[in-house]
Amino acid sequence: MPSVVATNGDSDFAQRSSGVTKFTNCLLAKDNDLVSEDLWVSSTSGKILNGQELLFEHRTAPDQIIDLGGRILSPGLIETQLNGAYGFDFSVIPEGGAAAYGKGVLRVNKSLVATGVTSYLPTMTSQRPEVYHEALQYLGPSGSARDPSYGSESLGAHCEGPFMNPTKNGIHNVAVLRQPTCGISDIADCYGAAHIGQASPIKLITLAPELPGALSSIHALTKSGIKVSIGHSEATYEEAKSAIKVGANMITHLFNAMRPLHHRNPGIFGLLGTPSSSIRKPYFGIIADGIHLHQTSIKIAWNAHPEGLILVTDAMRLAGMPDGIYDWTNGSRIVKQGALLTLEENGKIAGSSIQLVDCVTNFLNWTGASVPEALKAVTETPARMLGLEDVKGTLKEGADADLVVLSLQDGGVGGERKIVVDQVWKFGTKVFDIVSKV
Amino acid sequence: MDRWTERDVSMPVVIQDRIRHLRLIIRDDPETASKYIADYIIERIKTFNPTAERPFVLGLPTGSSPVLIYQHLVQRHKSGEISFRNVVTFNMDEYVGIPRDHPESYHSFMYKHFFSHVDVQPDNIYILNGNAPDLELECQKYEEKIQAAGGIELFLGGIGPDGHIAFNEPGSSLKSRTRVKTLAYDTILANSRFFGNNLDQVPRMALTVGVQTVLDAREVVIIITGAHKALALQRCIEGGVNHMWTLSSLQSHPHPMIVVDEDATLELQVKTVKYFKSIEMVASELGFRQKLPRKRDSLIDEGALLVPTRNQSNGTRLTVPHQDISRSASPVFEPMSARLDDEEAEAKVMQSWDAVEDQPSVRMSARVAG
Repeated sequence: MPSVVATNGDSDFAQRSSGVTKFTNCLLAKDNDLVSEDLWVSSTSGKILNGQELLFEHRTAPDQIIDLGGRILSPGLIETQLNGAYGFDFSVIPEGGAAAYGKGVLRVNKSLVATGVTSYLPTMTSQRPEVYHEALQYLGPSGSARDPSYGSESLGAHCEGPFMNPTKNGIHNVAVLRQPTCGISDIADCYGAAHIGQASPIKLITLAPELPGALSSIHALTKSGIKVSIGHSEATYEEAKSAIKVGANMITHLFNAMRPLHHRNPGIFGLLGTPSSSIRKPYFGIIADGIHLHQTSIKIAWNAHPEGLILVTDAMRLAGMPDGIYDWTNGSRIVKQGALLTLEENGKIAGSSIQLVDCVTNFLNWTGASVPEALKAVTETPARMLGLEDVKGTLKEGADADLVVLSLQDGGVGGERKIVVDQVWKFGTKVFDIVSKV
Repeated sequence: MDRWTERDVSMPVVIQDRIRHLRLIIRDDPETASKYIADYIIERIKTFNPTAERPFVLGLPTGSSPVLIYQHLVQRHKSGEISFRNVVTFNMDEYVGIPRDHPESYHSFMYKHFFSHVDVQPDNIYILNGNAPDLELECQKYEEKIQAAGGIELFLGGIGPDGHIAFNEPGSSLKSRTRVKTLAYDTILANSRFFGNNLDQVPRMALTVGVQTVLDAREVVIIITGAHKALALQRCIEGGVNHMWTLSSLQSHPHPMIVVDEDATLELQVKTVKYFKSIEMVASELGFRQKLPRKRDSLIDEGALLVPTRNQSNGTRLTVPHQDISRSASPVFEPMSARLDDEEAEAKVMQSWDAVEDQPSVRMSARVAG
């Protein structure tokens, strides 16, 4: 049985408490395998330790040994597209103004961590510049305090728009969409000059590369360390390829809000078929909620470029709320019927209300991927896309000790499997346990 | 009973003399041989009942043969049957000049197969440092640390196909102590498979405990499995003490035990194999098997000694110091019948028993110093 063992009752030993936790009897999600190994983490440094060095160099024994009873231990999940949750919308400045907005973000962080998402990109849909100027300062990377009690950690904002093609707006309000005609200066005007450049709160920008000035903007943004994703776009294959050449490395929710694959012009999707010798195949987001995409499309994309697939929820603030009609931004309204969210005026799909771990379950059952392969799509792959592969999404020594303990429940209808988050650890400290929650 | 007497009378004198204390345990395969040793070690530690002040000092090997033993030890630790909290460990050897975290270092081996899974306290783990600035000093200090820990209670070891124990390859002095050792070309060749078959990557030197360091342990337990080690086993127990087969020095140790699989006995005389099997069988029938003698330098609490266990039907007990006064106090290599039926033998038992009780309960090191 899973258990926690304090390694010693001796008082002299307790005095030199090391803050080290050892996980044992667990399957580590490493690369494409589940390996039966132990893992050492420190609550003091918040990092994953090298057990061998700890033993022989530091002569340190763990404070506690956690027997996971054969369950899976994975890096914490990383979400790169979350528009809001728990009634809070990252794109809306509430009545209380900026201060209330800041508090709302903190509240989301604390709630979100219990779902296994230990770090994420708070995502803003297309808005007027004033909203960005006010909101972005609260969405920047929040992990510097390394305080587990703060919950999930922002890795920086994801600005989805407003530089997108009006014909592929999805549910974004066409009235606020813009063009980066003058390149980076237009971008800076929109988001705020202080929010572009080094130490920017923005980590990722989704834009349409066919817009005038887009390519030079992509070049400038990626030079300054902001990642660029292609999305909400009418781009042809050639245009998309040019975007990759100047620095874009991602496709936002592949298949959704872009041209479908045509055999004479494969469009953005065609990038997944590009021989790796000419350009690097981009990463791509997939919404595996069962509504946005057919499971076969997901399987095709995964087979085309398994190392690039990143599962995202695209969830918004109505997740977990009762059915009904809700006000949304820019005067629009959203109809919620179960998991399905649509825009009232035109019936378009308006984001999702699924949890990331359930996307992993869907992906697992739809594609026949192995559990570690599926987990990779929410850990290692997004971390690599963001250039954080040594810090997040990995169980390597020196990475942050953001972890989830997962149960794999077998035997659903048709032998379907289900992944359940049993525990969440942030910076080496347990912040959620399914047992104590009840 | 006469049957046994006859057989033993027919044993060659050489065996009776040289390996009079040897216990040779033969099991069907490496798995059961390893399990036997793991169970034995666990029983020994439990009987010793170590404390922080009086730890059990265990000598440990690396290599392919011991891997299964470690697996058993780890398994039984995880099921809560044994704690290594008050066990101090000394490893036999380590390469010189490869990083401590190199996958082929003996530090890595021990971490991977044993220390990462059990509760041996980090401060109680001793492994030679092959990167020490002064290697000679490192070796000298190692001997001192063993002394300071009270000497090694049980040294577990394996052997190479050439009969070497630790890195004491053929030709090593049987009086050798912990030292820097240049590896034989054969060993380097054999080890190159662990270093990408690149001879240049194989360490040329190692630090190793000496033959005498092993022999100083109060008990030595050796695992030998596989047909490729059959010749070594034969030379080491049927041949004479010889520095070209360093394990043969075990013949001069008071309490050695060798556990082997059937394959390893291929070169032994049928007579030898049958002899050792018969000893184990008779002992087993009588309920004590190949027990460690109580005439020892340390081990058992005075209190424990006074509680003899007479339950001879307990065939599941392992070959550990077991409070049972119905047997000889020393594993005299002679027929069971002689020991058990003979009145004189009985008298000997009582005599030795007295001697044990008279022994002061101090550590070997203390007595050595005195």
